[in-house]
Amino acid sequence: MAVDLEKILRPIDHAFEPYPAKYMTLASGEALVIRQATRDEVPTLLKHVAPLVFVERDYYDLVAARVYAELLGWYHFRMQDEYVLVAQIDGELAAIVNGRSVGPKLGMSLHTLAMRRGLRIGAHAFAAKMEYHIDILGQDEVLIVAESPIGFRRWMIEYQLEERFDTAHELGGVPSYALTRDLFERARSKLVVGRRPVPEDLLAKAHEAILPPTDPPTPPEDLLAATRAKYDSTLSSLILQRWAQERSAEDA
Amino acid sequence: MRDVYAVGIGITTFTRLEYPLAEIAAYASMAALKDSGLRTVDHVYVANMGSGRINNQTALASAVVDTLSLTPVGADRIENGPASGASAIKEGFLGVASGMYESALVVGAERMREVNNLEATDFVATLTHPLAEYIYGVTLPSHAAMFARLYMEKYGVTARHLAMVAVKNQNNAMLNQWAHLHQPISLEGILDSPEAMTNNPWVAEPIRFFDCCPVSDGGAAVILASREVAAATGRPMVRLAGIGQATDTLAVHEREEPTDLLAVRRSAAKAYEMAGTGPDDVDVAELHDAFTILEIAESEEVGFFEKGTGHIGLENGETAIGGRIPINPSGGLKGKGHPVGATGVAQAYEIITQLRGEAGDRQVADARIGLTTNFGGFGNNVITMVYQGVK
Amino acid sequence: MERKLYGYRCRKCETLHYPFRMVCRGCGDNDFFEFDAEPLPRRGKLLTFTFVHNLPAVFEVARLGLAIVELENGIRVTGQIEIDDPELGMDVVGDIGIVRRDAYESRYGIIFRAA
Repeated sequence: MAVDLEKILRPIDHAFEPYPAKYMTLASGEALVIRQATRDEVPTLLKHVAPLVFVERDYYDLVAARVYAELLGWYHFRMQDEYVLVAQIDGELAAIVNGRSVGPKLGMSLHTLAMRRGLRIGAHAFAAKMEYHIDILGQDEVLIVAESPIGFRRWMIEYQLEERFDTAHELGGVPSYALTRDLFERARSKLVVGRRPVPEDLLAKAHEAILPPTDPPTPPEDLLAATRAKYDSTLSSLILQRWAQERSAEDA
Repeated sequence: MRDVYAVGIGITTFTRLEYPLAEIAAYASMAALKDSGLRTVDHVYVANMGSGRINNQTALASAVVDTLSLTPVGADRIENGPASGASAIKEGFLGVASGMYESALVVGAERMREVNNLEATDFVATLTHPLAEYIYGVTLPSHAAMFARLYMEKYGVTARHLAMVAVKNQNNAMLNQWAHLHQPISLEGILDSPEAMTNNPWVAEPIRFFDCCPVSDGGAAVILASREVAAATGRPMVRLAGIGQATDTLAVHEREEPTDLLAVRRSAAKAYEMAGTGPDDVDVAELHDAFTILEIAESEEVGFFEKGTGHIGLENGETAIGGRIPINPSGGLKGKGHPVGATGVAQAYEIITQLRGEAGDRQVADARIGLTTNFGGFGNNVITMVYQGVK
Repeated sequence: MERKLYGYRCRKCETLHYPFRMVCRGCGDNDFFEFDAEPLPRRGKLLTFTFVHNLPAVFEVARLGLAIVELENGIRVTGQIEIDDPELGMDVVGDIGIVRRDAYESRYGIIFRAA
């Protein structure tokens, strides 16, 4: 009795509308293009995400590790109804956002990973994600959680998300917050920006390749030193990590 | 009073620093001592605003003098809000000018990011009037906003002018290796494009995100000395030629003319008089641009432009590094950051660097006379200083 | 008990102050606390204003209106405003209300509305 295991292990994706690419001008004057990524771009994305798994600052390690898993899961057809959007500046990867469709009316936001800091790129990418769920997929609600305090400030506070604490979020089973259509409408003018269609040359550059970020957060010499420092009142692990980093930079 | 010279300068990067506050101060101090070649000084002055409240450390000067192993040299902490740095330089000047000390270390340091942003904003707001302003939720940005609104109404300053200051200063900071922000910005990005209002959101209307300086940690130090000690070091000598200080009402609503910064005007007049110079002699200036509107207003009050025309000079490029009167070549508080206690000393660091001819890509040609204005409170305690390069 | 905002008049030279200060700005010659408290008028003109978006943690609103108002008697005060579309120079009238809630205390101050 030959059983096609793959038929059992692979979930069946529902058909859904693709995300229409958009572009915007950042504070620096550069153009940011946000578009949907395809499965065959995952190997490239994994290469850019991998180093961030070792950056402890601002929960990069946790978010990057989970994004890596979600990308891999999508690539191996082990995640149902997942989408991935990428934000690029001149082809260079600036942010990755992803999420899932739980039902025709309910979305699940997964992650927002920004490689370039200081220009609200993460915030723009998150807004694009919400636009995808509410405007394009026509869902009524998106469930959201945050791993980092920065995320909490940017989403829970800025959008004034509703508490849905009785619903456990897929990410770690923690209590969810929700963005409703109503909340999204109220936030739209302030937080959701971008123009369509994307000029041909910009879009072509974005699709040509996902280039590595030029100045991503870098891992320290000594992993998890900052977390260890929270349990070490002499702070020596932080000092030692700092010196190790500075000295290896000098020797380099 | 005898002449006083700056013979050593030191600075840390302005950013989020994970070092304890006393170490930040010591780092800048060690750099200044090494620069001067002196192994010790006769007195230490430490400028800082928030060590008690933010860093849970009082008597900071004692901690700094200890970690530098300068004991038994005397040390004091000087606090004058965001003008702590200039106040400490003034005290250092008086110590050496009077003949009491031959040399003095003046270091300003602040570690604001030990607490979160909301805490830091509230901490700075405590410099306002406790009953007439603070309880209402008045913050420094709200003061700048109310001031800016009147300036725009009275003199025709627009959001574009504010944005131009931000772009000029952040782009200057790109040339400054110790500046907080190394992110170029453009008018298109923060003002003109359809996405500009999201990139540059309101902080307190009409002040926007890019009109405000970042919250930074950092330290800066200067070694002051008598002519004999200074000459013996063999280091370039910069003379602290003029100092002026003036105060005004604490509650901003009690100012005589809401669009005037009288304390800036008066402190500059006194500094010019002591130095025997005037605004036309100044080659380069570091003004206190915690908010972009303040650079425009201060440039007028210190005499570089007629009152109400500073924004026109800005538009014409007169305040750019190659212009008639370069303002904030370091990036100003906007671009280089504002660790409040360190700022006054950091302004001195930049001007001394310029007058020594060591400013690299941001060097103002032939800089001989420099000016700094350090604003304490919201324009109610201001110290202006004039420096002169000695050939 | 009706709450009011008080100005302080020097007993020597009659200069009115808001807020309180120990030495009179007019004559500089008063003895300790030689002032009389007198309620300030509630009406005035809006001199300047702002809407603050980045507030200290205790304020749980999205934005807060603040203003400097010039009262009928020439004294200026800083207060909160509950006015949707403020205009410079408009007539306003103030009432005392809770302007801030710290850990265990409610702080009272003046709140201006359109007259």
